[in-house]
Amino acid sequence: MSIDLNNIRNILGNQAYITDNSVEMSVYLSMQLQKPLLVEGPAGVGKTEIAKVLAQALNTDLIRLQCYEGLDATHALYEWNYQHQLIYLKMHDDGGLPKEKLEEHIFSDKFLLKRPILEAISREKPPVLLIDEIDRADEEFESFLLEVLSDWQISIPEIGTIKAKSKPYIILTGNRTRELSEALRRRCLYLWIDYPDFEKEMTILKTKIPNLDLKLGEQICAFMEELRNLKLEKTPGVAETLDWAQALTTMHFTHLDKQIVEDTLGVILKDWQDIRHTQDSLSELLEKTGVISRLS
Amino acid sequence: MLVQRQTTLSGNIIQLCKFLRTKGFSLSTNEESDALIALSLLPIGSKDSFHAALKSTLTKSKWQFEQFDDLYEEFWEELNKAVDSKVKESTKPDKDKAPSIQKPSFETLKSWLFNSEPEEEKDAVAYSSMEVLTEKNFGDMSTDEMRLIMAILRKIAKQLAHQKSRLKQKSKRNRSLDLKRTFSRNMRLGSDIIKLHFSEPKDKKLKLVLLSDVSKSMDIYSRFFINLIYAFQNSYDRIETFVFSTAIHRVTELLENHEFNKAFEIISKRVPHWSGGTTIGSCIQTFVDLYGHKLLTKKTVVLILSDGWDTGDSSNLKQSMREIHKRSKKVIWLNPLASSPNFSPDVIGLKTAMPYIDVLESAHNLESLKRAMKHLKSGRRKRLLYTNR
Repeated sequence: MSIDLNNIRNILGNQAYITDNSVEMSVYLSMQLQKPLLVEGPAGVGKTEIAKVLAQALNTDLIRLQCYEGLDATHALYEWNYQHQLIYLKMHDDGGLPKEKLEEHIFSDKFLLKRPILEAISREKPPVLLIDEIDRADEEFESFLLEVLSDWQISIPEIGTIKAKSKPYIILTGNRTRELSEALRRRCLYLWIDYPDFEKEMTILKTKIPNLDLKLGEQICAFMEELRNLKLEKTPGVAETLDWAQALTTMHFTHLDKQIVEDTLGVILKDWQDIRHTQDSLSELLEKTGVISRLS
Repeated sequence: MLVQRQTTLSGNIIQLCKFLRTKGFSLSTNEESDALIALSLLPIGSKDSFHAALKSTLTKSKWQFEQFDDLYEEFWEELNKAVDSKVKESTKPDKDKAPSIQKPSFETLKSWLFNSEPEEEKDAVAYSSMEVLTEKNFGDMSTDEMRLIMAILRKIAKQLAHQKSRLKQKSKRNRSLDLKRTFSRNMRLGSDIIKLHFSEPKDKKLKLVLLSDVSKSMDIYSRFFINLIYAFQNSYDRIETFVFSTAIHRVTELLENHEFNKAFEIISKRVPHWSGGTTIGSCIQTFVDLYGHKLLTKKTVVLILSDGWDTGDSSNLKQSMREIHKRSKKVIWLNPLASSPNFSPDVIGLKTAMPYIDVLESAHNLESLKRAMKHLKSGRRKRLLYTNR
C-alpha cells in the first residue's frame, strides 16, 4: 500500500490519533525507508497507540511482543511444541512409519510454535510488529534482536533458514528505564513524544470524547499542564487526562471546582505521595489554571 | 567549527552532518544516505517537512531530538553568513555541550596528596580518640595490613559479582525441567525419555554504582575508600565510580585504565575541592540528572560512602535520594563516623536521606565492611543497621 506524506495525517486522524509534524514524518519515513521506528517518551503519551493505529490504518495485523526481564529467543522467535512431538512419536511407536518420515513430520510447521517475530516475518502481507518496552528486556535480547532486524531471516536448525516473506513495519517503544545501545538506535529512526501542549491535548479530548463540555475540557487541559510542572513521582499522561475528562463528562460536570478536583484526584494520580503533594498545592494550581480567583 | 557553502543540496546535507558531529551527534554515512533518500521522497518546497525529515533521520536519542531544532537553525544561519567559496570561522566556539567539568585546581590537590599538615593530623587524632574499638580502624592502618585487607576485599567483591539472572542455563541439579534439551537429547536414542535435563537461573552480574565522598570531613577515610573502590573496579564488569565533594566526577575510566597510584594521583588532581566542604544534595542530584537514567536499574546496587555532612541545601537531596531508591535495587550507605559511640544519624544530610537507605553501615573496619558487603547480595529488605561498638 502506498502512502503519501499528505494523507498520512488523515489516515492517522481517521483512527482518532492526533499527530503533529514530527510524528507524521517519522511514521512516513520509517515506512518508506523500511526502517524500524524507535519511539521514546514518558508513560501515557501514546507511543504504543501509534502501532495500533498504524495497523488499523493499513488494514493489517498488529503483532505485539511485550518485553520483560528474562525474555529470550524461545519467547520471541519460535519454540518446538515438545509435548506434542512426544505424543506424536508415542502414537507412531509401532514402527508403522519409517524413521525419516517420522522426523520430517515432527519437525514440520504443525509442531512449530511461532512466536511474535517469526510470526511477523512469515506473513504475506506485512503486519505491524510492535516491540513494546524494549528497555525492559535484557541487553542480551537487544543484541539478538539486532541480528534479526538486520538479516530479516531466522535460522531453525531442524528446518533451515526462514527468510522474511515481507518486511513488517516495526515500532519499538521505550520508557527510558535503561539506555538502549547505540547499535540498536542506529538501525532505527528515532522519535521522541512528549506530553502534548494545550492545543494538542484539547484536540485529542475533543476527538475522543465528542460530548465533552468545551469549557470543562479547557480547564482540564490547563490543569494538567500545570500539574505536569510539579515534580511528581508519576506524571499523568494523556491517558489519564482522557480518563478524567470521560469521568467528569459522565457525571455531567461542566466546570472544575476545588471539591470536584479533590474528589477525583485518584483518576489522574496513581501515587499517594503525589496525591498528598497535589492536595497541598491545589489552591495554587487552580489559581494558575484560572478555576478559582485569588479572592474566593 | 567551519561551515563551507556548498552549491548542491546533497553537499549541504553532508555539511549539516559534519556540523552536527561537532556538536556531539554520532552520524555515519548510513544516516547521511537515509537523510538524502528521505528528502528525495518529499514534495519540493515544503520547509517544514524538509526540517522534519532531517530531524527524523539524523537524531537517535532524546538529547539529540531536543537539540536538533536549535542546531538546525544555527547551521542555516552560519551557511547564509558564509560567502561563496569562502571559509568563515564560526562566532560561537561552544562545543562543550557535555556535562561541564570544572578545571582542576592543581595546587590544593597536590598539597593534599603529598602533605602531612599538622592541622589535619590534629583532626585525625580527634577522630581516632573517639574510637573504642577492638578491631583496627581503617583510618590508621599500616601498609601491610592494608594490603591484606585489599586481598580480602577483592575476594568478597568477586563473590558478589555473581547474582542470579532470570535467563536460564543448563544445570545438573533438579531445579526445573528443561523440556527443550530433554527432548532433543533423548530423541537421539529413540522416542523414550530416559534422562531428564534441568535448567536453573543463570548467573547475573551485579551492577554497582559507587558514590564516594572525598570532602574534608571524610578526609582520613577517603584514601581508604579510593582503595576500596579500586578493588571493586577490577573485579566487576559493570561498575561506575563517582567521587564528590562540592561537585561530582565520574572516575570509572580512570580507575579502569591506570595503575592504582597513578589513578589516585589523577583523580586527586581532577577533583577541585578535594577535602573541602560537601554539598551532597546538589552532587547527588547532578548524578541523578546526568547519569540516572543510564546507570540506575533494578539490577543496580548504589553504594554511597559519606558521613552525611551537608553544607548545601538538603531539599534536593531528599528528591534525588528518593529517585535513586526508587530506581535501584538497593541503596547502601557507608558511614565510617557511625562507629563512634555517640553517633546518631542526625547529621542533616544523612537524616534527610535516611528513609531512602536500605542499609546503613559504619564500614570503619573490616568486620563492619564485610557485613555491609553481604548486603550487596541480598534483595531489598528494610533493615537499618547501626554498629555502636
